[in-house]
Amino acid sequence: MLKPILLVEDSGQDVELTLAALTKARLANEVIVLRDGEEAMDYLSSQGRYATRARGNPALILLDIKLPKVDGLEVLAFIKSQQRLKSIPVVMLTSSREEPDLTASYQSGANAYVVKPVRFQDFVKAVQDLGGFWAMLNEPPPGSVRFRRPE
Amino acid sequence: MNKSPSHPPEAVPDLATCDREPIRIPGSIQPHGILLSLDGDSLRILQASGNAEQLFRIPVENLLGRRLPEVLREMNAGELVDAIECAALDTNPVYLASVSMAGRAYRAVAHLHAGRVIVEFEEAATGQLFDGNVSFHNLYPLVRTFLDRLQGLETVEELAQMAAEEVRAITGFERSLVYKFDPSWNGQVIAESRGPGIESYLDLWFPASDIPAQARELYQLNRLRLIADTDYKPVPLVPALDPETKAPLDLSYATLRSVSPVHIEYLHNMGLRASMSISILRDGKLWGLISLHSRTPKTVPFEVRVACDFLGQAFSTHLAAKEGQAEYEHRLHLRSITAKLLGYMAEEERFIDGLINHPDELLALTAASGAAVLFEGNCRQVGITPPEPAIRALVNWLSDNRQAAEVFRTESLPVEMPGGEWFREDASGVLAVSISKLYNSYVVWFRPEVIRTVKWSGDPQKPVEATAKGMRIHPRKSFEAWKETVRGKSLPWRPSEVEAASELRNALVGVVLRKAEELAALSAELQRSNKELEAFSYSVSHDLRAPFRHIVGYAQLLEDHLGDKADETAVRFLNTIADAAHSAGMLVDSLLNFSRVGRAALHLMDVPRAAMVDEIRQELAEQEPATRDIVWQIGRLPTVQCDPVLMRMVWLNLLSNALKYSRKKAATRIEVSCESTEDWHTFAVSDNGAGFKQKYAGKLFGVFQRLHNQEEFEGTGIGLANVRRAVGKHGGRTWAEGALDAGAVFYFTLPVRAVATRHDLTK
Repeated sequence: MLKPILLVEDSGQDVELTLAALTKARLANEVIVLRDGEEAMDYLSSQGRYATRARGNPALILLDIKLPKVDGLEVLAFIKSQQRLKSIPVVMLTSSREEPDLTASYQSGANAYVVKPVRFQDFVKAVQDLGGFWAMLNEPPPGSVRFRRPE
Repeated sequence: MNKSPSHPPEAVPDLATCDREPIRIPGSIQPHGILLSLDGDSLRILQASGNAEQLFRIPVENLLGRRLPEVLREMNAGELVDAIECAALDTNPVYLASVSMAGRAYRAVAHLHAGRVIVEFEEAATGQLFDGNVSFHNLYPLVRTFLDRLQGLETVEELAQMAAEEVRAITGFERSLVYKFDPSWNGQVIAESRGPGIESYLDLWFPASDIPAQARELYQLNRLRLIADTDYKPVPLVPALDPETKAPLDLSYATLRSVSPVHIEYLHNMGLRASMSISILRDGKLWGLISLHSRTPKTVPFEVRVACDFLGQAFSTHLAAKEGQAEYEHRLHLRSITAKLLGYMAEEERFIDGLINHPDELLALTAASGAAVLFEGNCRQVGITPPEPAIRALVNWLSDNRQAAEVFRTESLPVEMPGGEWFREDASGVLAVSISKLYNSYVVWFRPEVIRTVKWSGDPQKPVEATAKGMRIHPRKSFEAWKETVRGKSLPWRPSEVEAASELRNALVGVVLRKAEELAALSAELQRSNKELEAFSYSVSHDLRAPFRHIVGYAQLLEDHLGDKADETAVRFLNTIADAAHSAGMLVDSLLNFSRVGRAALHLMDVPRAAMVDEIRQELAEQEPATRDIVWQIGRLPTVQCDPVLMRMVWLNLLSNALKYSRKKAATRIEVSCESTEDWHTFAVSDNGAGFKQKYAGKLFGVFQRLHNQEEFEGTGIGLANVRRAVGKHGGRTWAEGALDAGAVFYFTLPVRAVATRHDLTK
């Protein structure tokens, strides 16, 4: 079974659009949607609502920067500080083109930083590239199952 | 005076040894009178001058031990007896009475000092101005005239001149000098009155050693001295010591007191046979002397001396008033100069120029002959100053050694500062005020060595007179000696001048501080608004962009959802929605970009212009339909130091504009060129496109300024505003030339030597 893609995104519209883009990009992974930073950290450390979730790390985390409660940069720092989590590829997916965010993201160990393009087609292409690269082509971290593209 | 045998013979005898000479207790008197010392209570005669027999007609030994009244009664001098017994005596000699003996008239004058009544019998003068019966009635008109004339005088110099004339007129001396001490007790002749044939000493300076400290002290106590004949033979007192105190008699207040042989030698060398001096006191301290000279022996009657003393005191009183007034007026004058300078500074863009552009006032403020203003690293000089490197060395020394001092002054920099010998001629005197510790900012005034400022009424080149040669002491030699004492020294800075400098400093510091505060406030305000702007654009970039993204996305989803069910109109509507939202999103991006260009710091590096332009050209060309006919003509472009990100944006905007606006031409022609001068590169991008009316050229570079509608040429109206900002940050200019339908040329300049502009200072 493919490892899931984690999408951490507070905007309902963005969730819907991203899912559409992922579908269009023909990524078959299950997508788990989390709506704020706290929930993401609970999920990743199997706490709270997620205390009983199936074990295992996601194949990829798409992480929005502006999030309620705990923001994306904090979640990123948390992930990269945990021995068990730090090898999960994290793509910062954001509206922001601001330099400080970009710098902070890379300094905290983000694997990629994507400014969501306004044009939907461009967004689909970006998601396709990202998902393809990180969820399929990249040598997956130990513990992940290599994804095989369904024909 | 003891002269050390090891003394080099030609050396001026050091008059300093006079400091140890017992001038108050010489044990002898001048022979133009007779002196008796009496016990203050019993009036018994304790000591008498050896010449007493002239008057009393009995040997001195027979006088001793007797009461003077008894002796006088025997001489039928009853008037004098009454005067002596009734007189209320103190240290000021008072006239008692006249006494005649064997055809000679004597005036008796007495004073009380240290328990002794000292009676002096002066032989009445003959053949002189006031021979015979001199009285106050004779002198009163002269004195009154003097007092009247005093009222009309303006300056100390006029006062001194008049005193010299009046005193000479009253006494009949050949020459009178008014001699003024400086703070180190050097003296200068500031006024002179002289008869025919006698040499002028006006403006001559004398070193402090000419009048030793103890003599000055005596002059302060006893305001009048007379040497009637320099060739006199001193008459000793008998016995030499006071029989009761076993000490020599203190003659401090005695008129007949015998004077120092050194002084006599000095007078002789000047060719004088008689001299008198009157002390001028100011606030109880010796200020100067009126010195009277005669080439023949001369006695001065007591009444005349009293009149002279009176004139001297009137001089002193007026002096205090005149000097006080002069000082007050001087201060007022300096204050008005300070006010002028402050006014000049207020008018200048760089306030410090107000000082440099008005050298007359700057120098007048402290009566300096040169000044330097060191500010923000510049050193600017006016008047006569040492060379710039010396001045810089001076302020470095000042800031290293005199940090605490806001005002530094010296009359002898060569002594105070190591290596200060450099400054001797032009700048022995230095008055410096520190304006700011930053860059060692100072205003420094200079005064030359005093010798260069000395007037000399005689011929300064004239060698010391033959008569003075071989003499141990002489005024000319004194003058030479004085010159040595003032080598490397300037005239002293007056308290009012130091005060004026200090006032100017306070004003300057105030201005500097205010400027610094203004700048700090401005920069704090800038930082704050920068932060606000950053926060604002951050939230814009997140929150404003998202809805446009959503519109575009959902329009697409809807189109996908409808699939075949969407007719042509529905698809067109959906596309319009998406396009509109897309341009709105682009607009947001452009705006953010624009604000980023404004805020970004420049990262300068050498950028090969040709490579950058070529790369952008290719990138743009790829986006154009392959069918489009485009001729690029790119000239030689230099490598320039600039920020590559900003400069790339500049070229991208200019070249894409050129492509965009020439789109409707059958054949597009785009030229890129550069012309360079020593200071500036001027780049030009021209196209043969739609152009614009030249009268709108100024509008092109404004934010949201567009000369075409969206249907003609799409765009956000921010591209050229970005270009202007980016070029401006490099210190360059932008402008455009064009004509409607005849193409456009866009120019921008970049400095050959890159400069950081004001914008970066706030970073």
